[in-house]
Amino acid sequence: MRHTSLVSVYLSLLLALLCQLFPWVGQGIIFRPDFMLVVILYWLLRAPSLCNVGTAWFAGLLVDLATGSLLGQHALSFTVTAFVALSYQRRLVLFNTWQLAGYVFVLLVIERVVILLLKLFEGNDNPGWHYFWPILASLLLWQFMILMFGGLTRPKTK
Amino acid sequence: MLKGVHQKLEAQQTPAFFVRGPSLFSRMVLFCALSISIMAIDARLNYLSQVRQAFIAALHPLEIVANAPGEWYRDIKKYFSVHNQLVQENYALKQQAFEHQVMLQRLSTIQAENEHLRSLLNGNIPIQPKAVLGEISHMGRDPFTHTVVVNRGSQHNIKAGQAVVDSKGVIGQVTRVYPFTSEVTLITDKELSIPIQIERNQLRAIAFGEGNNTLDIPYLPTNVDIKVGDKLVTSGIDGVYPAGLAVATVTKIQQNPESPFAKIVSTPIAEVTNHLQLLLLRLPDAKESVAPQPQPEAIPDHKKDFVSTKKPKAKTNASH
Repeated sequence: MRHTSLVSVYLSLLLALLCQLFPWVGQGIIFRPDFMLVVILYWLLRAPSLCNVGTAWFAGLLVDLATGSLLGQHALSFTVTAFVALSYQRRLVLFNTWQLAGYVFVLLVIERVVILLLKLFEGNDNPGWHYFWPILASLLLWQFMILMFGGLTRPKTK
Repeated sequence: MLKGVHQKLEAQQTPAFFVRGPSLFSRMVLFCALSISIMAIDARLNYLSQVRQAFIAALHPLEIVANAPGEWYRDIKKYFSVHNQLVQENYALKQQAFEHQVMLQRLSTIQAENEHLRSLLNGNIPIQPKAVLGEISHMGRDPFTHTVVVNRGSQHNIKAGQAVVDSKGVIGQVTRVYPFTSEVTLITDKELSIPIQIERNQLRAIAFGEGNNTLDIPYLPTNVDIKVGDKLVTSGIDGVYPAGLAVATVTKIQQNPESPFAKIVSTPIAEVTNHLQLLLLRLPDAKESVAPQPQPEAIPDHKKDFVSTKKPKAKTNASH
């Protein structure tokens, strides 16, 4: 069994916030992975006892404050995504890496769609397909995190 | 045997049924409701701007850390710039400064003449706005809005509403001020509009940001005298942007037979992506003191002035 503490969760969130704050120039914003979302999904799926919908909401609120968008938009999208992520969390331990990546892809799409809907409500134009490109970058980041810090805990098979 | 089982149970976590608290769904509903109410408060009421300011101020050290690699890269590039290149640049800049000085000499005489003429006509003498030099620290992080963040904030007396220009033309307006930084909304943003004038024929209009690096000038009839390539400058009517700053050039004019209005598209002259320095112009003082607190006594005075200046004219008219 791996032990993860609450401190590591919040430290990693702080690090993700730092990455989010990097100045991404011009078109680079298209290839920017959603650091906060990937980190929060990682903890949600790996240690749901430490990290819950509330943590996701809090992370979303931080993103809102940092990006200067309408307060509560990312909080809402993170909450919805966390809900979907956690409702099937128990089955995920049986997935292999690629199935898991597929599932995370769906979650990332959900988050983007929620934000898109909120932004459209606000009166913005349809941004076009390049709006969804960061999903791929986020997915790469997800795979990187799985490689670096290990996947989800599996039941030991003898 | 029984003892062993007991120990195993103790080592395990308490069954989830008791620990988890409210169910996942109810948590989701709670936090969704919370975020929606926060959104409503942030969009309609101004209670949360203080929270945002405090948070951004607290985030400032983190932001410095995040911006550090880019600055190092810039410093290193500066350090290794070749001597020859610097000499050339110095030469070019000196030449440019010389040309500008010659132009400035003419400008000062023209300005004096203009002020004199305006005073003869009892007109207002336009105030030269003071400015603060700022540097773009990064582009806005929200891909839906067109903003840049500048390294000057309320600590440097920056106020929301100030106009921001670069060496080519108008960039936009300060919309949010934090203690050490401020957010500048570009004129291409959907939220921003700017009163303009066509330089060629002094036709006044208002340009609206389109959200995609262009400006739109709506509500002008199809037979309006605008050509592709016309330069748009600020008209100075709003009191925010000083008159005569370059804004955009007209790039496309579409005439739709079904619509009584022409679709006029123009692109901004200012180059936000190409350099870092920009100027934040001070708001004109007179406007600032009068606009927020209209004094009831001041208005009759103005009216009196207005009447007294008009009366002689009426008299002369009558006498003629």
